[in-house]
Amino acid sequence: MGFFWHVLFVIANWFPSILGFNLIFGRGKMLHFGPVGTSLVAFYATAIVLKATGSYLFAFLACLVATELISLFFAWFSLRLESDGLGIMTIAVHLFLLAVVLNWTTLTRGALGIPGIQRHPFLLSQPRMALTMVCVAVLWFFFMLWIDRGPLGRKLTALAEHPWHAEALGVNRARVQTAAFLVGGLGTSVVAFFWVQYLGLVHPNDLLFPVLILYVMNVVAGKPGSVAGVALSTTLLVLLKEGLRFVPLTPDMIGPLRLILFGLILFGAVWWRRDTVFPPERKI
Amino acid sequence: MQLLANGLIAGSLAALIAGGLALVYGVLGVFNLALGQMALVGGYVTWWLHQIAGFPLAASVAGGLLTGALVAWLTFEVFVNPFYRRHRFLPLVTTIALGMILDGLILILFEERPRSILPGLKHMFVVGDVRIGTEQAVLIVLTLLLLCLFAYVLHATAFGRRIRAVVQNDHAAMSLGIRAPVLHRMIFILSGVLAACGGVYIGIDQNLTPVFAFPITIKAYAAVIAGGKGNFWGAILCAYIIAFLEQFVVGVRWFGAFYVPAGYQQTVALLFIILFLLFRPTGLFATSSRSG
Repeated sequence: MGFFWHVLFVIANWFPSILGFNLIFGRGKMLHFGPVGTSLVAFYATAIVLKATGSYLFAFLACLVATELISLFFAWFSLRLESDGLGIMTIAVHLFLLAVVLNWTTLTRGALGIPGIQRHPFLLSQPRMALTMVCVAVLWFFFMLWIDRGPLGRKLTALAEHPWHAEALGVNRARVQTAAFLVGGLGTSVVAFFWVQYLGLVHPNDLLFPVLILYVMNVVAGKPGSVAGVALSTTLLVLLKEGLRFVPLTPDMIGPLRLILFGLILFGAVWWRRDTVFPPERKI
Repeated sequence: MQLLANGLIAGSLAALIAGGLALVYGVLGVFNLALGQMALVGGYVTWWLHQIAGFPLAASVAGGLLTGALVAWLTFEVFVNPFYRRHRFLPLVTTIALGMILDGLILILFEERPRSILPGLKHMFVVGDVRIGTEQAVLIVLTLLLLCLFAYVLHATAFGRRIRAVVQNDHAAMSLGIRAPVLHRMIFILSGVLAACGGVYIGIDQNLTPVFAFPITIKAYAAVIAGGKGNFWGAILCAYIIAFLEQFVVGVRWFGAFYVPAGYQQTVALLFIILFLLFRPTGLFATSSRSG
């Protein structure tokens, strides 16, 4: 039963950040490869403030401010750079943040991570934690559907297809792209607030570059831009990832096999959706 | 002086990899994020042939480079060619997938522990204040010779002229009878061979470990972006500049008061990427394609 609650929590916990990333990468077609960098900021901000003050409200607010600030930076990059430049830049920023976390040991404890984070008294039991997260995930899912089908989603679609044409029709590129990044940042803040309490630990190994592949894979497999599709692919792929621990292999084989399997799934998903991941412009 | 020598050693490695990457970007307009893993495959195969199978060093290196070429060819045929004509950003995602697959295969086949192609004590010699290994000196000289050979091929042969024509405008080059798709394939394979050279270099100079893959890729990208995307010589020069800066940042006692922790060394390349993309996205030596 414990494993059931764990998987339920993990799936629900992926929803806010992955659906936010889907808005940027899937709907907006912006080559944003820094969602793990945003998570890094969110996780550490939550953990550090929670440990220092013991206040869950302050921890969430600090996490929200820090995450939205880094999201604003990414939004600014997206306005200044071409797509491939944005991809490389966001990877560079993620790795830079990781280097700071690993070396600023007086604040982050470096490679040791920050242990001993207490859960909120309401979230002490596993079922309550999982069910709370499920409620948040369901609310987030409908929030993202609302955004996707509303003006922001439509404007992002128009900008993704042809920025100049969209701007000529009155779409404010700066405002729309910034809004998309801020929504993504909000999702990551929600994830960080619950995940840090669930694990009781923040560790840099959980925020390395390979985590990015899960983000990209979930979006590509679920159909870029589709809220329901990405929610479904996230559910299935998290089940697969968590289920792999039952494969009767030694732990030093499971890690590499997981890398190979997820690499193959990502490649297969891109092959399958090669016409829709970055669709060509429509021409008359 | 020792810092300069260290920069020359690190820069030679980075130049090999960045040069190949710059050619690929110049010709195909795609980024290959599995380049670091391709370098490691060349190094690991050389290690296996020399240390496990017992082949002589020269034959092992040849085997490593051949494997690098084979992996690059397969990468091009499976992960790049079916995608880059549809959209040039697709290979960015497919090569991330390839990087993960190669990471997994390297961990299974060669394990996580460090592997050295020439283990044991290095032969050091002293020139003035500088201590440098014999192998390092040989690698520096070989890199410079390789770059000279490249300069000759690129600027003084018909093949080099064809490459430069395709870099400038592949459609115009095709209309002049140059088989651009064949050149695309050849240049991608060449970049794989150069990356494998880099892997062999790491295996001889240091130890091969799977964690090297991504820093190798990032340093190469820093050089390519700073040098002007697609500019071969700009990338080579910037690879050396970044390597020198990396050595200076952690090797100098700043203001006579403190040293920057060694852990920040790799952030030099990352800062190069961030600053150049923000303030000079065309790089130092941007090349412009001719258009009618």
